[in-house]
Amino acid sequence: MALIRFQDIDPVRHLLALQQELERFQRNPGLSLGPSGYGAFPPVNLFEGREGMIAIAELPGVESEALKVAGQGRTLTISGERRRETQTDSVGYHRRERPFGEFSRSLQLPENLDLTQAKASLAAGVLTIRIPKAESAKPRQISVESR
Amino acid sequence: MMPQQEIVSKEKQQVEGTEKTRAGRYFVPDVDICENDDALRLWADMPGVTEKDVEIVLKDSVLTIVGTVDAGIYDQLAPVYTEYNVGNYYRQFTLNEQVDSSRIKARMRNGVIEVELPKREQAKPRKIEVQAA
Repeated sequence: MALIRFQDIDPVRHLLALQQELERFQRNPGLSLGPSGYGAFPPVNLFEGREGMIAIAELPGVESEALKVAGQGRTLTISGERRRETQTDSVGYHRRERPFGEFSRSLQLPENLDLTQAKASLAAGVLTIRIPKAESAKPRQISVESR
Repeated sequence: MMPQQEIVSKEKQQVEGTEKTRAGRYFVPDVDICENDDALRLWADMPGVTEKDVEIVLKDSVLTIVGTVDAGIYDQLAPVYTEYNVGNYYRQFTLNEQVDSSRIKARMRNGVIEVELPKREQAKPRKIEVQAA
């Protein structure tokens, strides 16, 4: 497993290394997340860490109250709504590029993960969901008996 | 009740034009810009950027927005499946309106920056009273 290691690397090269890694996997997806794959909102990146898997999605402007993350079996569902900031005075728009509305997406996660122990956090418009490995999937030392 | 509109995913656009001296991809943040009599208001989506890592400069009527992402959250992680790339944000606008640069305000929430650019007094529209001759 090739972990991205950032120690002793300056921040610029660090970001460049990350971008190259992300692009490499975008071109060669190693696994499928089921029917709602590439093109669904929000786009999701999936990583492997020491403790399990980490799903990261960009959801700018979404309040945590308007976001729902649910797990059932191997299926992880991210749904919610992005609401436009309230505008009181009548205004003329020069540009309207930002997307607003409802979204819902389900991902089929690989086996051997424990979604019941998953933890989600939202910071700076980025949703991070940490899903630990299932107890049964963790490496175990097997004692050898001598006869 | 009308069904709410669903968000569709679109790919991030890379910054084109003048190249940056620093290597790496810069992305164009999605923006909304609106105007009323008193000010121009701009919102830019920059997920992953906190208030400490954003820079707004107005010089010679050119507004520059730069957002730097913290890639530290990816430390010790190995990608297995990816749908989007991560990078800093950069966008420039030439303002036609006369903006009072001393009163520009900006705040950041949930990865969205909101910039308020108040118009100069003399640039505000004025209603002229018409008198009967």
